[in-house]
Amino acid sequence: MDAPLLAIENLRTYFYSRAKRAFIRSVDGVSLEVARGETLGIVGESGSGKSVTALSAAGLVTAGPGVISGRIDLYSNGARRNLLDGLENYARVTERDGRVMEVEKDERGWRKRSETLMAGVRGKEIAMIFQNPRSALNPYSTIGKQLMETIRLHTKFKGESEAKERAIHWLERVRIDSPRLRFDNFPFGMSGGMCQRAMIAMALSAEPSLLIADEPTTGLDATIQSRIVDLLAELKAETGITTLLISHDISVIQRLSDRIAVMYGGTVVETGRAAEVLAPEAKVRHPYTTALLASIPSAETIRRKSYLQAIEGEVLDTIEVPRGCRFYGRCNRVTEAIRENCAGREPPLGEVATGHKVRCWLYPATGKA
Amino acid sequence: MKFAAVKPVSRVLARELAVTALLLLGVSVVVFAILYLAPGDPLNVLLEGQSPRSELALGMREALGIPRTWYGQYAAWFGKMLQGNFGNSIRTGLPVLPELARVGVYTLTLTLGSLALTLLIAVPIAVHAAAHGDTAGNTAATIVAYVLSAVPVFWFGYIVVYVFIHTFSMFPLISGTAAKQEHAWLYFLVPIFVLGVASGTLSEMIRHLREELSRVLAEDYIRTARAKGAAVWRHAFKEGFLIPVTEIMSAKIPFLLGGAVIVEQVFNWPGMGRMAWQAAQDRDFPVIMGIALVAAAFVRLGNLLQRVVFTAVNPRASRE
Amino acid sequence: MRRYVQTPGPIGEFSELALRQRAEPLDLVYVGYGLLVVAVVVASYMLGAFGWLPHDPQAMNVGLINAAPFTSGHVLGTDFLGRDLQARLILGIQAYFLPGLLAITISVVCGSILGILAGYRGGWFDTIITYFDNLLDSFPRLVLILLVIAAFKADIYYVMVVVGITGMPVIANLIAGKIAFLRQKSFIEAAHALGLPAHTVILKHILWLNCRALLVIQAPLGMAEAILVETSLSYLGFGVQEPTPSWGNMVQAGANYFLQGNFWPSTAPALAILATILGFQLLGDGLNNLLEGKRRR
Repeated sequence: MDAPLLAIENLRTYFYSRAKRAFIRSVDGVSLEVARGETLGIVGESGSGKSVTALSAAGLVTAGPGVISGRIDLYSNGARRNLLDGLENYARVTERDGRVMEVEKDERGWRKRSETLMAGVRGKEIAMIFQNPRSALNPYSTIGKQLMETIRLHTKFKGESEAKERAIHWLERVRIDSPRLRFDNFPFGMSGGMCQRAMIAMALSAEPSLLIADEPTTGLDATIQSRIVDLLAELKAETGITTLLISHDISVIQRLSDRIAVMYGGTVVETGRAAEVLAPEAKVRHPYTTALLASIPSAETIRRKSYLQAIEGEVLDTIEVPRGCRFYGRCNRVTEAIRENCAGREPPLGEVATGHKVRCWLYPATGKA
Repeated sequence: MKFAAVKPVSRVLARELAVTALLLLGVSVVVFAILYLAPGDPLNVLLEGQSPRSELALGMREALGIPRTWYGQYAAWFGKMLQGNFGNSIRTGLPVLPELARVGVYTLTLTLGSLALTLLIAVPIAVHAAAHGDTAGNTAATIVAYVLSAVPVFWFGYIVVYVFIHTFSMFPLISGTAAKQEHAWLYFLVPIFVLGVASGTLSEMIRHLREELSRVLAEDYIRTARAKGAAVWRHAFKEGFLIPVTEIMSAKIPFLLGGAVIVEQVFNWPGMGRMAWQAAQDRDFPVIMGIALVAAAFVRLGNLLQRVVFTAVNPRASRE
Repeated sequence: MRRYVQTPGPIGEFSELALRQRAEPLDLVYVGYGLLVVAVVVASYMLGAFGWLPHDPQAMNVGLINAAPFTSGHVLGTDFLGRDLQARLILGIQAYFLPGLLAITISVVCGSILGILAGYRGGWFDTIITYFDNLLDSFPRLVLILLVIAAFKADIYYVMVVVGITGMPVIANLIAGKIAFLRQKSFIEAAHALGLPAHTVILKHILWLNCRALLVIQAPLGMAEAILVETSLSYLGFGVQEPTPSWGNMVQAGANYFLQGNFWPSTAPALAILATILGFQLLGDGLNNLLEGKRRR
């Protein structure tokens, strides 16, 4: 089987609350793979750790302690490199009772090392787009200049005029009207949708191997959202680019993803092919995924005239992580048979069908993940 | 290219100029009010002093009729000033404005030089603190800055003078004729050093620059710059460095001018500050009034320049 | 190397933790030192006001000039005329203490009024008050003071009125800013909707509940400014005149001796100035960080 383009293994990214003297376990042991040419959609509520996972992959986590353990392998240009290579020399993790209670990290040292590892990767191999595109672009510079910066940094078009032409070409490709005029626009003079298009152009103009899209439609008007999703779908078809897509909006995920990962409380609770996981008639699904799908309007719920179901309880605060299954407090499919397990032990990610894994005691796995 | 747009910029600048002019007008009203309310009728003395001697000699004072109403006096005074006539020094009899121009240069060099020095100290500390957070070095530097900001600048001046006399054997410091000595330029540096280090503005400068740079480094667009592998400082420069630096420079000029008054005393520096001190001693209103006006004008000029930089750099400012 | 440790027990809510636990230790040091300075100043002011001085501040003792500290019962030594420095320093506080309070009062009271007018009424008031603030900020304070001295007289209370007036813009801006913040959070709208009369909203809700920390912080900062002005003026010869001691004129009087190598007569008052201004500044800044600083989780 072809090696995946990106393989995240057991990633843990923690933050620290000085007031509460406790760790915020944003990403608590996440493993994911993105195959070449596919789009993996990560879905989950706010606080599930999906954005932080993406930021960790791009080496953009600055707050302490940050990334503390794991591997992130990027396969490109025939080579495989671990973007977290040597992390164990900079971060010492002490566990007690299976839980991390102490971290010692040489943050300055790791930052330097990370910069060395990510040099040549960020922007060139891995490109990232963010939510709130108007604030993500430099307000003091025209979008043309910002595009040119990427082009001159990461492509062969180093000269000013050829870079400019290339930039205008990309503005056209993301369907921005009057690209030559818009070239001299500042972000504040453009709509949110247009800014997002510009950001997409900026990311793709470097012809990266991997595009990480962190909530690309959040913050945009609803109609604009769907146009951006259309654009991403088109570009995906045109370029075949590998994408890691993060969103809390299932419809966006549904539209663009080949495979899906559902995250809750800092862990992956389900992965599988999008069609399989999101199929309305699916028999095997993580209770959280089911609840998520039931809580948003879709063609299915409209057809069935079912009520939207809110998920009871509150999103897991990743400071107080419970002992057992993280979803236990809100789960409505706990049976007496498995209750003890649900309350006391975290279920492993088990394969329930080829390529479909679920982390739930309802489906004790044949193999571990 | 730094400039966001040229034509709209000129429109915004016109507005800034108008505001500056209005403020200078206000400054003149304040100064006038102080003179008007002062006992002993200094204003009449001033107005007389502003009239050319010939008119007085010819007994035209009555005919001229120094106006009785306050607005009349203001108009007369202001009108004379616009012609460059600030009256004559009561002590020396010399016309004020040319004298101020003569000595103003010294104060200008002192003020600007020490502003530059304070910045030179503040910027590295602030940048390091913003980029690397709370380290032991930063905390130590912050405390040192606090102490330096509380040091009485005149005493600090004496320490420096002492060191210079006894270590470098440079004697003729406390004399205005320093310009005639060899290595004269070194003598210029000493007061600048004293005011630059102990002006009392250091810790605020560090704080402002550090806060602004930290704030900008946490902005979304800096994260995007990092994500695309671009040089962060290039993106953070305008909002995180250029604008805060010009802001704090313009804001601290009045403080440095005040410090210059004291430092000029310590070193007998022949500048406007020492002239102001002398004028206050002698109740020489034309001189002190002129100095107040010139100093305020200088402050407003600095502020105007800062606004120019801000408008030139900020695309939104020129489009409003 | 940073070390992060999770407390083994249950994790409490932020507000449950005492201020002591969640405050930066450095800020506590600042405030502690500042309060110490305030205490010493107030106590010394009292001593000076009642004349309870260790020695006669004017008594010259030619046989004991420039004595080092702890010589013959002079805790801080003597100056170039043999006068006890401790007594003179204590007496010197008289020169700035009450005038400083005057300056602070003017700044805080008038500044608050202006700030409320600008923030609460807004519109034209805001424009005019902003203009007025910019106008006041145009003058280097010392130059304006010299102008006032030339026009009127070298009276420290006149001077402090000027200091108070020039201190208004800062407070007005802070209060107007606070009001803008409250407005943005719809506090003011809500208060009106509840039918509260304007004076209650202003006095109780805006000033007392929301601005009192701000004003408490400005008081020591204002005193620091006042001390700076008074000592600078008396150094220049415009404050209290010899032989009445003021820290500024003490430094000036000892200047010649300093350059000859007798540092102490000038240095003792200079250190007093340094320690005191530092104390008030640190108190203000420390309180600012503790009370108004960004809340850290």
